[in-house]
Amino acid sequence: MSPPKQTYRHIEVRSLDGDALERLSNDMKLSLSREDMIEVQKYFNEANREPTDVELEVIAQTWSEHCKHRIFGALIQHEVDGVKETVDGLFKTHIKEVTEGIWKNKPDFILGAFVDNAGFVRLDDKVAVCLKVETHNHPSAIEPYAGANTGLGGVIRDILGAGKGAKPVASLDVFCFGSLNTKSEDIKADDVLHPLGIMRGVVRGVRDYGNRMGIPTVSGAIQFDPAYIYNPLVFCGTAGTIPIGDIEKEVLPGHKIVAVGGRTGKDGLHGATFSSASLTTDSHEEDQQAVQIGNPIEEKKACDFVLEARDRGLIGFITDCGAGGFSSAAGEMLSVTGGELYLENAPLKEPGLVSWEIFLSESQERMVLAVDEKHLPKLKELADTYETEAVVLGHADGSGILKVWHEGELVVELDCSKLHEAPRQTRHSKWTTPSFRDDVSLEGSTADLFKKVLGDFAVVSREPIIREYDHEVQGNTFLKPLGGATGDAPQDGSVIHIDGSKPMMSMALSLLPEWGKTAPYEMGLACVDECVRQLVICGADPKRLALLDNFCMGNPDDETELGCLVETTKGMAEAATFYQAPFVSGKDSFYNFFETEDGPISVPVTLVISGLGIIDDRKQVVGSSLRHDGSALFVIGKMDTELGGSVAARVSGITDARVPKCDLEANLARYENLYNALQQGLVAAAHDVSEGGLITAIAEMAFSMKVGLEIDTFFSKEQLFAETPGCIVVEVESTEVDDFKALFGEDAQQIGKTTSAHKKLVIADQIEEDLTSLKERWQHGLTPYY
Amino acid sequence: MATRPNALLLKFPGTNADEETARALREVGFETRTVPITRVTVEDFADTQLGVLSGGFSYGDYVMAARFAQLEIERRLGDTLTTFRDKGGHLLGICNGFQTLMRLGILPPGSLVDNVSERFVCKWVPLEKKVSDSPFLHTLPEGFELPIAHGEGRLVTKDPADAETYMKDGLAALTYGEDVNGSYQQIASLQDTQRRVLGLMPHPERFIYREQHYDRDWQQAEHGWGYYLFQSIYQTVTA
Repeated sequence: MSPPKQTYRHIEVRSLDGDALERLSNDMKLSLSREDMIEVQKYFNEANREPTDVELEVIAQTWSEHCKHRIFGALIQHEVDGVKETVDGLFKTHIKEVTEGIWKNKPDFILGAFVDNAGFVRLDDKVAVCLKVETHNHPSAIEPYAGANTGLGGVIRDILGAGKGAKPVASLDVFCFGSLNTKSEDIKADDVLHPLGIMRGVVRGVRDYGNRMGIPTVSGAIQFDPAYIYNPLVFCGTAGTIPIGDIEKEVLPGHKIVAVGGRTGKDGLHGATFSSASLTTDSHEEDQQAVQIGNPIEEKKACDFVLEARDRGLIGFITDCGAGGFSSAAGEMLSVTGGELYLENAPLKEPGLVSWEIFLSESQERMVLAVDEKHLPKLKELADTYETEAVVLGHADGSGILKVWHEGELVVELDCSKLHEAPRQTRHSKWTTPSFRDDVSLEGSTADLFKKVLGDFAVVSREPIIREYDHEVQGNTFLKPLGGATGDAPQDGSVIHIDGSKPMMSMALSLLPEWGKTAPYEMGLACVDECVRQLVICGADPKRLALLDNFCMGNPDDETELGCLVETTKGMAEAATFYQAPFVSGKDSFYNFFETEDGPISVPVTLVISGLGIIDDRKQVVGSSLRHDGSALFVIGKMDTELGGSVAARVSGITDARVPKCDLEANLARYENLYNALQQGLVAAAHDVSEGGLITAIAEMAFSMKVGLEIDTFFSKEQLFAETPGCIVVEVESTEVDDFKALFGEDAQQIGKTTSAHKKLVIADQIEEDLTSLKERWQHGLTPYY
Repeated sequence: MATRPNALLLKFPGTNADEETARALREVGFETRTVPITRVTVEDFADTQLGVLSGGFSYGDYVMAARFAQLEIERRLGDTLTTFRDKGGHLLGICNGFQTLMRLGILPPGSLVDNVSERFVCKWVPLEKKVSDSPFLHTLPEGFELPIAHGEGRLVTKDPADAETYMKDGLAALTYGEDVNGSYQQIASLQDTQRRVLGLMPHPERFIYREQHYDRDWQQAEHGWGYYLFQSIYQTVTA
């Protein structure tokens, strides 16, 4: 018999100087800094031995930006317009403390935040809902289909691993691409895929995972900007439900650690560390193996297994295998108790994997459970029922030490408490408010400009994409992404019925990257504001909302880019505190920049605020499409004239306009009033003023094609196209007008009425157009590209 | 009170519409039991009045839609489904379940292949009832509406004339009111010659309650149209 192949090796670090440590990090693709490597060296000096390659890989992924969010934890010396301030951790100051403050006021509503895979809020006495959003940017840039496919697959597993296993009930996706009509010669790097190819691959990736899993993809957004050509952004989110009693989970000494689902292979090596560095042309050649391959049916089987095991009380603790694979899943589970794992127990896709490959592989569709030994026979039987695999990897033992064995050799022995302590970074950031022009106005006729805006990629219907997603599976999509009398008009969010509960859940999201280019603080404010507004328009109680923050940015080593991020988080925190809407989860992605022939290009700081809200009564869900003849049309909120961040400004080439004001106090009072009006049945339809401004909002409401519209109030062109946060267009039936006016007072302005006399959009002295031709322009804007 | 009739739902890896289908069946009065294919036995059909194959992507549908589901049913159950039907049992196949029944040869010969658009499509479509003798459809009006969600829903027959024959012989139970996928004769649903098996691409289980409609003001009936399909078969098996 030949001796067993060496599956690991020791690596000399104790004798190395700083330069050599840094070289070692680069050679092994560890993405660890010099300071990190010195810490690693200290640990092994104290342990009085050299590390194994497995241990170095484990530490690298544990400390990676992707897993540890070190930039959000860093001490930042920030300077804004010459005034210095210290940010003692962006996460702590502008996210965690915000939520903790709100939590004190809503202890019965918020049931979990930040510690688990997803945050939980109460739906009713028995059920909680949760939401998680992740990014999968780098993989989607290299392999759009597989990248987006596994992006959605990964976030679904986050939900399956939340609490003792939440049931995924709806998904959302947000994409940021280069413009679809980008000329190939304008792409200044080799091997970068054209935005069209990225979009088609990404959409199909999401489609094929979501549809096969049977989870409706119900909400989404797409942004287009040339800066996303090199680094497209792909956010995937999933919402889940769980019995409140199944939220708490615990690993106990003696628990068996069980791997469930797909097998482990060489796909997805170094995913976490790969995601924590910038892309280059070489990435397109070298990093293929960092992109995983998705198999939604494998995950569907695991999902069926987990939900039944949970209901039968067989699960003590569960988490998903995401970045870092077993090492982070099992590492998390054993971080307090400690325990032993045996890598030879893991079922492999192919023979011949060495220790670190098994332990770090990010092969998809795997969950890790901690279970009482007596439940093992039932779990095995259940695995057979659902045609999935469940194998014991090891056990928790109460030692506080993580030991990993492979073929009888001890390949990892790490003190869990030290394993999770990465050195804190100190960073510098700076933001200087640019100068704005005060006399910005729009050129040309309203009709011409409106047609341009309505046909712009930012505004056109997402219908070709929405139709490829099964957004109705599970039979609970109560407010659909497209609705109204013809089933193809846009809505402000979606509403999901939860089986067995009377209250429903609304989902919405906002991103305004154009704002951040000149006004990041205001972008933070406005994103929170828009998400809150949409949730309330969909019928949710403004006192029962939960938010998620997802950030993507370019180079955090650039002081101005980081400064933009800092300002964004400050604005976001301010609005969330004011609205008492807690952040229950979030994620960040850095190094979304690319070295092109013309130098580095970063994505704009991109904040996606997504959220969910609780709706007590389905009668409060009215949708955004006009419904009746002879209704009064109101605008609630004051239309600003500032054009910054607007589609009209962009199509007019205006870059130095101020963004409109976001008046939190007035907006919150308005949202509370709107909620009252919805409860009292005073509202027939309501639509948020967002991309394209007031005129676009009005037209979109009329795209249900039930009635024409006559607006007799005078609006300046700037008021029609400004994207003022907080404004809402409301249809009120004639019988309810007095009550509606009484409720809103001066905040509501009656601007016109609906009519069955024609199917036109008429705005006095500005525009008179057939709705059919306007809708045609809006509805088919993406069709030639998708 | 009479006992509730039993519906047996088979579940494959990738079946994903079984829960809402069971909900719809319970809503009209059935008892339901969902059994994974690994656990189902011939005996399960003994006390069953309605066998149901729900929507989804059985085994991923990577080869041809429902091909593996067909093979697994044949391997594990032999001709149980046919025998069940011949003895008076009823079978319903929705979407992937329709595809499965077609592959099993329980419905008139033909195939459900890629939509002409070569795309998955999720939308609501008008439907026309073409038969008056279906035990699944008698409480439905001549024209109604249901959502579809499929990538392989184009019904084709070896000879296009066969599809015409299905129309004449009362085997084509429902047609689309518009051309949604390129189906011959715009056929959306087939029934067997014994009138005890129905397969359809649209999803009745997604329109049980009125408020599941996309139009907030929809009020053409007391329930969603899908309710009446399940109600029809309930009435049939309890008559």
